[in-house]
Amino acid sequence: MVSKLNPVLVSSLLAIFCGLMLMWFAHTFPPLSKVAADEVGVLLSYPERPAFELRALVQAAGSWVRERRGLQERNRRLEMENLDLRTALQHAGVAPPASTSELIGARVTLRYPDAWWKEVRVNRGASHGVAVGAPALSDGFMIGRVVRVGSDYSWIELVTSSTFLLAAVVNDTWDLGVINGDDMGNVWLMFTPPDKEFSRGMLVSTALVGDYLPPGIPVGMIWGEGERRDGFLPRRIASGAHLTQLYNVQILSLGAGY
Amino acid sequence: MTAFVMAWLLQDLLQVLSMGFMLMPEIYLMTALYKIVSGPLLPTRAAAWIWLAFFGGVLWDLRWAAFPGMSGLIGAVSVILLYLMWNRTPAGGRNAPLFAALAGGTHIMSGIVHYLAWAVPSHAAARMFLIQQLLCVPLLAVLCTMYAFRKNDAHV
Repeated sequence: MVSKLNPVLVSSLLAIFCGLMLMWFAHTFPPLSKVAADEVGVLLSYPERPAFELRALVQAAGSWVRERRGLQERNRRLEMENLDLRTALQHAGVAPPASTSELIGARVTLRYPDAWWKEVRVNRGASHGVAVGAPALSDGFMIGRVVRVGSDYSWIELVTSSTFLLAAVVNDTWDLGVINGDDMGNVWLMFTPPDKEFSRGMLVSTALVGDYLPPGIPVGMIWGEGERRDGFLPRRIASGAHLTQLYNVQILSLGAGY
Repeated sequence: MTAFVMAWLLQDLLQVLSMGFMLMPEIYLMTALYKIVSGPLLPTRAAAWIWLAFFGGVLWDLRWAAFPGMSGLIGAVSVILLYLMWNRTPAGGRNAPLFAALAGGTHIMSGIVHYLAWAVPSHAAARMFLIQQLLCVPLLAVLCTMYAFRKNDAHV
């Protein structure tokens, strides 16, 4: 009986030991396990390609009418805004700058259930012009920032991540704050003065703080207040993008000016 | 082996299609469990399936989970438990309902461990867990039917 069970016993003990060691290794050296995960992702991207294409086709077919109407409305709004800005520049006697930026369309290929509000992987990387630090957008709103780039993939840290920090400004009042997530799907504008009145729906955009991110990219709208902490009152931000169902994103490839 | 690889790829492709909506049931693990009970209960064969389930799980973690090793461990433990219980059951008692109960039990156990490992247990996560368990029912029904037919033919 014992000799009959031996291969099973040995394999069982070894497999359990290897499993525990792997978990310990992944916990102790997260960057290395991420490298391994990226390699597996690249390897599997070939057999998975038809499934991704089919998925994109079904999604496009399903939301064609709704998205088209939304895009037309957004396009009309942007054209009007563009016209107003050009008029303002002409009045100021400033020549409109030539844009060197480019929006790179990317598809979400991985979103871990256990890191749902932290990061996503997309199918565009350095070979497509994606660089670390580039802002990622969805529906015209910033949803995160590129934190790691491979040749044909990149990882985007979401605005809902607790490690995400971004200087932002309330467009109507010019008050500065820091965008930060809480890993629970919420986005907060931190370090805003408690006595300041903000109306619900006020637009919050990226601020001109560093030279790595252009100012004026919308992040979301002020939606409520949090609990007072350290003399500040965090404001809850409603993202303009659908962060729960994030399937396609655009990555802003910054031109020579950045 | 081929069936296991095909099952793994099927689960992977279905997960790509349903990413963000639902979690697929553990097709490759259920296939490994079915393969254990549908063939001769040789220890060397069982050992091979322990490793296959382990490596299948590790690969799954590297593709779909942020914490590699857990699915591999769960896969290996599931095969070990099923083998031990199946081996201790008298030949007359080895039937499709027993397989369904054991395989279903390991599937629920695997789902619960993954659910608890998620950083943010939420309504969405609970719904995903529930859908995954419900989707396992038709899969188990197919495997049990296959087992019943095979048992009739080969008297395993």
